[in-house]
Amino acid sequence: MEEYPEELRTPPVALTCLVGCPEVHPLITAHLHSQQPPINAIALPDFSNISVIPPKKPPTDTPSAGIIKRDWLSKHRTRIPAVLAAIFTSRDLSADPAHWLQLCSHLDNLKASIRGRNIKLVLLILTNWDNKDDTNEERILALRKRAEVDLKNLIIFVPDHEEELQKSLNRVWTVFGELAATYYRDEGRRVRSRLEKKNYTSIELYIRYCFKVAIYAEFRRDWLEALKFYEDAYHGLREMVGTSTRMPPIQRLVEIKAVAEQLHFKMSTLLLHGGKVLEAIMWFRQHTANYRKLVGSPEVIFLHWEWLSRQYMVFAQLLETSSPNDALYVPSTASVPEEKPTEWEFYPAYYYQLAATYMKEKNTCLEFALSMSVDVGPIDGSAESVVASAYLGQYSRLLEHEDTFIMQPLTDEEYTRYALAEGKRFQDSFEIIALLKKSFEAYSSSKAERAAAYCGLQMAREYFCLNDFSNAKQMFDSVANLYRREGWLLSLWEVLGYLQECSKGMSSAKDFIEYSLEMASLPETTSSVESFANSWGPAGPATHSEREKIHKEAFEVSRGELKLNSDEQNSAFKVNTDNPLYLEIDLISPLRATFIALVAFHQPTVKPGAPSLITISLRSQLPINVEIDQLEVQFNQSACNFIISNGQKPQTGSISNIQPGHRVETAPDLVLAANKWLRLTYEIKSDLSGKLECIYVIARIGPNFTICCRAESPASMNDSPLWKFENLLETIPIKDPGLASSGQKAIQVEEPDPQVDLILGSSGPALVGESFILPVIVSSKGHAVHSGELKINLVDTRGGGLLSPREEEPFSSDNLHVELVDMSCDTPGDKSEAPPDNIHKIQPSFGLISVPSLDVGESWSCKLKIKWNRPKPIMLYVSLGYSPQSDEPSLQKVHVHKNLQIEGKTAVAINHWYMLPFRQDPLLLSKLKSVSETDQAPCLALNEKTMLIISVKNCSEVPLKLLSMSIETEEKSSACTIQPQQEEFREAIVNMPGEEFKKVFTIFPKVNSSKLKIGTVSLRWERGEQPHSNTTASQVMKHRLPDVSVELPLLVVSSECPPHAFLGSPFLYSVKILNQTEMLQEIKCSISDSQSFVLSGPHSDTMLVLPRSAQVLAYMLVPLGLGSLQLPRVSVTSVRYSAGLQPSTASSLVFVYPAKPHIGDT
Amino acid sequence: MSEGMIVCVAVVGHQNNPLYIQSFTKGDDSLKLHHIVHCSLDVVDERANNPKKSGLITNETFLGLLNPTENYKVYGYLTNTKVKFILVSTDLEVRDVDARVFFGRFHTAYIDAVSNPFHIPGKKITSRKFAERVSTMVKSFGLSSGG
Repeated sequence: MEEYPEELRTPPVALTCLVGCPEVHPLITAHLHSQQPPINAIALPDFSNISVIPPKKPPTDTPSAGIIKRDWLSKHRTRIPAVLAAIFTSRDLSADPAHWLQLCSHLDNLKASIRGRNIKLVLLILTNWDNKDDTNEERILALRKRAEVDLKNLIIFVPDHEEELQKSLNRVWTVFGELAATYYRDEGRRVRSRLEKKNYTSIELYIRYCFKVAIYAEFRRDWLEALKFYEDAYHGLREMVGTSTRMPPIQRLVEIKAVAEQLHFKMSTLLLHGGKVLEAIMWFRQHTANYRKLVGSPEVIFLHWEWLSRQYMVFAQLLETSSPNDALYVPSTASVPEEKPTEWEFYPAYYYQLAATYMKEKNTCLEFALSMSVDVGPIDGSAESVVASAYLGQYSRLLEHEDTFIMQPLTDEEYTRYALAEGKRFQDSFEIIALLKKSFEAYSSSKAERAAAYCGLQMAREYFCLNDFSNAKQMFDSVANLYRREGWLLSLWEVLGYLQECSKGMSSAKDFIEYSLEMASLPETTSSVESFANSWGPAGPATHSEREKIHKEAFEVSRGELKLNSDEQNSAFKVNTDNPLYLEIDLISPLRATFIALVAFHQPTVKPGAPSLITISLRSQLPINVEIDQLEVQFNQSACNFIISNGQKPQTGSISNIQPGHRVETAPDLVLAANKWLRLTYEIKSDLSGKLECIYVIARIGPNFTICCRAESPASMNDSPLWKFENLLETIPIKDPGLASSGQKAIQVEEPDPQVDLILGSSGPALVGESFILPVIVSSKGHAVHSGELKINLVDTRGGGLLSPREEEPFSSDNLHVELVDMSCDTPGDKSEAPPDNIHKIQPSFGLISVPSLDVGESWSCKLKIKWNRPKPIMLYVSLGYSPQSDEPSLQKVHVHKNLQIEGKTAVAINHWYMLPFRQDPLLLSKLKSVSETDQAPCLALNEKTMLIISVKNCSEVPLKLLSMSIETEEKSSACTIQPQQEEFREAIVNMPGEEFKKVFTIFPKVNSSKLKIGTVSLRWERGEQPHSNTTASQVMKHRLPDVSVELPLLVVSSECPPHAFLGSPFLYSVKILNQTEMLQEIKCSISDSQSFVLSGPHSDTMLVLPRSAQVLAYMLVPLGLGSLQLPRVSVTSVRYSAGLQPSTASSLVFVYPAKPHIGDT
Repeated sequence: MSEGMIVCVAVVGHQNNPLYIQSFTKGDDSLKLHHIVHCSLDVVDERANNPKKSGLITNETFLGLLNPTENYKVYGYLTNTKVKFILVSTDLEVRDVDARVFFGRFHTAYIDAVSNPFHIPGKKITSRKFAERVSTMVKSFGLSSGG
């Protein structure tokens, strides 16, 4: 686009002219320029400068010599104004008559020079703010008449007042704008009327007129009309093709194309700036379709391609600058589906690429044309005098003739020579590369990697043609990667061929061999019939024979037999002992097809020192068999490395890199055939435990050629994308198909079997509260123990932590369920001065202790003290790590692991309940009120004796010894007395598993309290059988008694009767009702009849009990039955409290003997 | 144009690898045709990934005109199993309908070829019968359209 003149590239802007009073020109021009739409202005300081405006030429009748004048547009953009403003000061107007006359003559001159051009005149009168109203009205009128200017086109301009100045400037801009629009409309109309009246003599004039109307329309910003007339001009031009005979044929076509280019450029710009991308693209399509076939005469065909290339490039630039790519997608529903542009036609990249393609075409044709015209040289001198002529697209010879210049038309032959000479001056390759680079970048950024790669390929070819091998190689390499990945063999073959040549050019033997080997090992392409060598690049067709040729050549170079670029004496390219060749093939190398090494161990694990089988499988896809002289297999444990030498070539002692002490195996032959696995199986031993991994398989071919191939596991091998899709016989790398699919290149060498016993002395379940002692014994059986370490871990068997969840925040010992309290080891006497660096770490669930050195047969023990705070089963892991040798402690540690599950159990369960004395019932109000007893503290009667029974149940599986039991009251005050306070059992009570032991206490509350703290029961116990004599002392188990409420009973009913009776003999049964209140209590009482007794006494009665006194109901009973009999039931009811008393059946039993026993009698 | 209107047909696999590519020119431009087919895969990707933007109907296998190179027209077709068919024609007047019909028949031939029990899915198509069938179809394409 840069080659177009400025006036063509930018939209036309109305032009005005200012004359006189230069001091205000910058003010006015800046203002005009800043407005929208802007107006350009020529500033002429003096009236004498007016001659810059070219005068109107009289119309001539001679037929036009061209279509569009080259400088017509520039003339209207820069030299012919639409409006001319003559500026005078108010002082000028009021000056003396002589001055006034001069002013008038200036004005007349002005009018004369713009006469015929129809330029509009405006008068500007400068005046100061102070004497704004002092202007000479008469003179102004006279001036206006003289200038023939309307009142509205006379502007009073006040530069020294801010507000007025702004007003004046705005007025200037408005007036100028209106007048310019009128001017361009009139000019346009004038030319258009000629078109309408068909007042033109030739088609050239028609085109010119259309062009002019369009330009005038553009000046008025009437884009639609402009577009219409450009289109008309363009169509008119199309008609000229083949009909015009005005000029010699070659130059005629050149002119037409030049004009078409300009017209199309204008149309595209208008369409694209108007956002009509789709239309622009359709127009461009038509434009190129119209002219693509008009190649012109064969000797200047390159001009056609150059022109076409420029069309694409300019359109691409327009597309790029008009708007960002995303906005280009216009809804394509309106267009005809068949002709709908595809995605790429919206991308500038597409046009850049084609521009490059045509530029390449031009380059080819130019070179051909240059080679055909032998005598281009001598005309170079005469070509210098050829210049562009007055008409667009025409050239003529400039002849100097007696101080004047004459333009002489050229013949086609002359023009051809000129064009050839011009063409020779430019290096097209750089332009092609620049275009391709733009396209490449644009495609890359829009994620069209394949199209980008194709551009890259073309670019690289161009670099290659320029012998710029390093740039070419870089591009080719990136393109090759894509083709490799997607398996496009033919394209890859071509690129590799170029790369081969590039590495030759760069004298890199390594690259050359790598590319050659990759080419040689490419899969066969199916179409082998093509034999047109020129379309394949330097590699030639991808046939089998060609591959064999490349293979042979590569190996000749590797042996140093062939030196490739013999013309350049570059020693780097020759392979010899000074320049050995070393290729490395890793997992992503493209040479994996050339050479792949799979290594599989036959077992997953092996004992140290025990033999294991290893299979090394090699495969090559090279077309010819390759014989390897020596194979070296390297492991991560260098002691295992070994060398396989070729049995067929025993004399190759030249490979003298065999280190002494290395294992050397000999294989019958080491020949790699195409797509066949070479399998080698050997035994291997490792003494070191850990991972043994095969890392490299290194093949040496000839004295100076080494291929280092990273070993791969058969399990994780995947074929390269190039071979993956080929239909060829799939062979497995190892005979054992299981190994072939799952073999690994690494083996785990186990550690030696431990010969040390680790014994955990288990003694059944642990009991909560006690410090459980667990002895650990390390006894050596066959290994000495050096730098041993014992690790102890406590793990919750149910997975959760050893902490209780609700108390996990503060880490303290009391919220641990189980903790490792201590580790004590008995140090033998002679080793009592153990080194102080002995490790002894302890944490609640982890412990680490170092084991002293032990000789074979010795043993050592330690004791772990573990405390259970809550019942919980845990798993105890103990692991011993030691080294059997004292000299190398870091290596070869042997580990022994033991674990033991230990249950932690609660030893005893303590329970309690309260009982009233026999046959006594206090009436407690709180008991009456509450419905349920569960949610309330037990209620005790004040000043009454209550029994407290404590029961102790052995929940463990071992007998326990109970040593003492006590109740510790919390409050010192004598709120209640408990008997006995403490009891040491004289002889320890053995409590067998499951047994229950009961102890009775009495409580006598003395204070009325709703919440009386009774105290805590403490039980001291120990294991019935001590497993280890020196272990735990007795443990104390505590049980807190819940609070009770104490209240005064209102009534106390107690019944009394002898413990036994005799048949027929009467006894007294009395019920005593004690009223402890201050009120008279009405009591109803009744007794039920019983068959077993005859009774006397009140059967049913209501009586009153006086305050703080007692009433007794007495019955006399005579038993009629025998045995344990139910006494007649007495029910006592307090009317006031509606509370009745039903004595329990247990408390109303009496045993009746048949007769009084006569113990004393016998 | 005398060489027949279809100059190249290709079957392209999941990894954009060629499974079958055959050019029908007497000239030496098979490499160029490879490049054209390869570049057109970008458009196939673009259309398949943005079916809305390209105005494609869902489940439509025929992708339409992919690439207006100056001398060739490239059409694309995407099967349900994401195997791509590409057609390159030198006839710039070729109609979408003809291409659509051709792809339909080509798809049938492809299905027959890959249904062969000896064909391993994902590998290149080497069936000679398939090649013959495609060749016949290419020839008849030229005739039926009056080229």
